[in-house]
Amino acid sequence: MATPAPAEPIFAARGVTKVYDMGEVQVHALRGVEMDLYAGEMIVLLGPSGSGKSTLLNILGGLDRATAGHVSYCGWDITRAREKELTAYRRKHVGFVFQFYNLIPSLTAKENVAAVTEIAEKPMRPEEALELVGLGDRMNHFPAQLSGGQQQRVAIARAIAKRPSVLLCDEPTGALDSETGIVVLEAIDRVNRELGAATALITHNADIRLMANRVIHMANGLVGSVDVVENRLKPGELRW
Amino acid sequence: MRVLDRKLFRELWGLKAQVLAIALVLAAGLATYVMAAATLDSLQRTQRRMYREFRFPDMFSNLKRAPESVAARIAAIPGVREVETRVVAPVTMEFEGYRFPINGQIVSLPAGAPKLNLPHLHSGRLPEAHREREVLISDGFADAHKMRPGARLLVTVNGRQREVDVVGIASTPEFIYQLAPGSIVPDFATYAILWMNRKPLEAAFNMTGAFNQVAGTLDPGASLKSVLDAMNALLEPYGGLDAHGRKDQVSHRYLSEEFRQLEQMATMFPAIFLSVAAFLLNVVLSRLMATQRGQIAILKAFGYTNAAIVIHFLKLAVLIAAVGLALGIAGGAWLGSGLAGLYRDVYRFPYLDFAILPGVIGISAAYCFLCAMAGTVFAVLRAARESPAVAMQPAAPGLYRASLLERLGLERMFSQPTRMILRNIERRPLKSFLSMIGVAMSTGILITGGFWSDAVDFMVFAQLRRAQIEDLAVTFTGPVPGRALQSLTSLTGVSHAEPTRWVPSRIRFEHRSYRTALQGMTPDGSLRRLLDRDLRRVELPVEGVILTDYLATMLGAKPGDILTVELLEGNRAVRQLPLTGLVSEYVGVNAYMRLDSLNRFMREGDTVTGAFLSADMEREVGIYSRLREMPAVAGTSARMRALRAFYDTLAAQMLMFAFFNTILAATIAVGVIYNTARITLSERSRELASLRVLGYTRGEVSYILLGELALLVFIAIPVGCGIGYSLAGAMAASARTELFRVPMVVNVGTFAFAALVVLIATVVSAMVVRHRVDHFDLVEVLKARE
Ligand SMILES: Nc1ncnc2c1ncn2[C@@H]1O[C@H](COP(=O)(O)OP(=O)(O)OP(=O)(O)O)[C@@H](O)[C@H]1O
Ligand SMILES: [Mg+2]
Repeated sequence: MATPAPAEPIFAARGVTKVYDMGEVQVHALRGVEMDLYAGEMIVLLGPSGSGKSTLLNILGGLDRATAGHVSYCGWDITRAREKELTAYRRKHVGFVFQFYNLIPSLTAKENVAAVTEIAEKPMRPEEALELVGLGDRMNHFPAQLSGGQQQRVAIARAIAKRPSVLLCDEPTGALDSETGIVVLEAIDRVNRELGAATALITHNADIRLMANRVIHMANGLVGSVDVVENRLKPGELRW
Repeated sequence: MRVLDRKLFRELWGLKAQVLAIALVLAAGLATYVMAAATLDSLQRTQRRMYREFRFPDMFSNLKRAPESVAARIAAIPGVREVETRVVAPVTMEFEGYRFPINGQIVSLPAGAPKLNLPHLHSGRLPEAHREREVLISDGFADAHKMRPGARLLVTVNGRQREVDVVGIASTPEFIYQLAPGSIVPDFATYAILWMNRKPLEAAFNMTGAFNQVAGTLDPGASLKSVLDAMNALLEPYGGLDAHGRKDQVSHRYLSEEFRQLEQMATMFPAIFLSVAAFLLNVVLSRLMATQRGQIAILKAFGYTNAAIVIHFLKLAVLIAAVGLALGIAGGAWLGSGLAGLYRDVYRFPYLDFAILPGVIGISAAYCFLCAMAGTVFAVLRAARESPAVAMQPAAPGLYRASLLERLGLERMFSQPTRMILRNIERRPLKSFLSMIGVAMSTGILITGGFWSDAVDFMVFAQLRRAQIEDLAVTFTGPVPGRALQSLTSLTGVSHAEPTRWVPSRIRFEHRSYRTALQGMTPDGSLRRLLDRDLRRVELPVEGVILTDYLATMLGAKPGDILTVELLEGNRAVRQLPLTGLVSEYVGVNAYMRLDSLNRFMREGDTVTGAFLSADMEREVGIYSRLREMPAVAGTSARMRALRAFYDTLAAQMLMFAFFNTILAATIAVGVIYNTARITLSERSRELASLRVLGYTRGEVSYILLGELALLVFIAIPVGCGIGYSLAGAMAASARTELFRVPMVVNVGTFAFAALVVLIATVVSAMVVRHRVDHFDLVEVLKARE
């Protein structure tokens, strides 16, 4: 059975558009997106390349601003927020995981996590976060001394260490083989279930949709269809 | 330690070579500032202390002869506080074992304790009262001959020779700078100051009960000008017209001039170095920012504020600045004490309190951090303002296009790698331009270093090899009949003599006037020649005067203008005479006219005050001893001796200046070139590594990287030559005073040397970078995601 969706969405996007003005041409990355994300829920965003998935995620996470439309987070309109408020929002509530890890090369695994916990309100200890993603024995390695999957898990540890209420992952397994990918997805799944962080996950791998509560299909800057997953699977049960 | 700070230190360590290069440029700028400012400060403090301790007077006047009773009338002038009179006489000297003529002044010591210009004793004691043979000698002269109390000298005053005993070695504030009349630099071996009790000096110089020099101090708040006017009016009947304040006292003037130049050194050079350092910081930090775009975005994505990020990178700049500051202050202290030492060789301060005051350190720190901020703040703010979403994406491939040269249809001339070089330079025109200017600046600084020696060489060549080519110059004790020359030509070894006459005079044009000696010359003389800027001879007119070009500028007169010439001696005639030509001279300012016209002007017959001799210098010792026996001869100087003295005094200074200049300029050159190369390397390492993977050789890849650098340096060198020439021009212009002028001469060798140093710096930097290219770990470079 599907987890019953709570009534109040923590994110509500209404008519969100994003236009990149390239001088001669205008790129319409989003053309009026409508979507919700409920507390504790896990959604997967699917869609062809260039359909606007990353753009949407960045707007939800307060990394980027919509050209028009509204996004509310727990009733607060983040499209109207000032830069300072967005920074505080990201600092307190949001955890990001990116396709290209984006670790700080001059800091060890533990220090990369500490860079976030140092400014968070009630964070885990960096060691705890790294153990959660199965990297307790690699704390003092520099990114260059870690494999791609390990680096991505450090990135997840860094995203979850602040106990975020929202976890946004942009193709976290894009650069990984399936086995490592599953380890990474397990870490995300665990955070979603154990910390209750509402999670949005972008992927090109349709099989992954089965670990979500709902799947949002995007095409051409619009939400095409929304599927509810009847039987949410554990990442270990996925096959691809 | 906070994690971000740890990141900072690791990154700083990774950049250590570049950080050091920047810190060194910063340090070079600060060192020049600290050196000049601390030296200036120390010299000025020493000057003030010495003026106070040894009672340097406020006003001075020379006169022919006045009875001692006049002193009381001077003291009665309102505003005058203390007055001291004295007798000063020209002397010549000799002593066992030294064959050159020695000239000097002998100054009387008052009967009681001196009130003004107190002698500072370096060793020995003051002459005892009533001792007629005891003298003090100046410390410069004593040093030059390693002379100690107990030495014995033969001095000739007023044509009479006598033996004196040196009982002490001294200096006074009025003779910190000692320049023999007519010479270009102090020569301590052949010019001396002697102090002697007044009684015997009065007797020797026919001045019993009289004085010919007076100095005094003023009441606080008294008007110098009105006191000087009153003194001139009072002393005029006694042949005194030149009452002057400290401003016109020779030693004080030279010091003030030197201070002015030090002040300039404390601004111009640091400004150049610090702007180059700021530029380098900007280049390196912009690059760092670019490589850290992703990291900055991540930090922002996780909620670091813009302020936190800005502070993080500014700390980096501040750390680099701190290294520069420490090196700069240490270097400046070392250079400064060296420079102060050199000054003491020329300016005879009895002591020197060299210290770097907190003020100088504070200003250095302020300069240093301002420069660090100026270099970084914009790059950092730009990075911080970027939207984290944009920064998160891998940097878009840079926008390139065909370079201008290619668009002009020259593409077939260039190989693929050459096109890459041209496109890269064109894509970042500002950065390329600034790098080029940085290298050009170092070329320019090198040229200014060479310029000083070129200018001095030219000055010596023009003055001592083209204009003044006599072997000996003789001055008489006063005006003597022209036939006195015959006794000179009759000396064995002397083949030819040309007369000359000096008359103190005032030259007026419109409302401006200047006091100088009007010098009478024979029009067809071959030993002293009046030359213009291009070393061409200037003809002496039958009626009219010729001025040093600088004097004409001071008076605002040009050839053809009518000047008013007032003689301050003899009949004190005043006449209107045309200015007919200008001579180019580098020390002092003079006025010339034909000797016969001058004598007519004076209404005197054939009269001379000196002569230039052409002599067989093999026989100079014999000539000197015969000259000494002539009572009319007050002094003799040898041109070659002056030449040597000049180089002895200046060579050490110029060598040091050139040496440090070269080091500093090379620091800038290496700093700019090395950083440019390293940054190009880091910006393009992926591209270059890809080319290596495609099968390009190390040489070919290095060519792409270093070709860009070479091109910039080849443009920078001629530009730098232009900058150097203009800087030299600016320095020459600001050093131009009535005391001396520096000719604007830069030799080809100086340009070549500057180019060579820059090329060497380029090659060394290129080799270091080339070494890195050769040791590229291809896998690592390609794997690393920026
Ligand atoms: N900074 C930008 N400037 C201009 N256009 C942009 C920018 N970022 C994204 N776009 C454009 O917006 C559109 C949506 O981009 P977005 O990155 O959201 O796609 P995506 O769905 O995440 O694609 P992918 O699956 O390939 O990551 C694309 O057409 C892209 O070219
Ligand atoms: Mg995307």
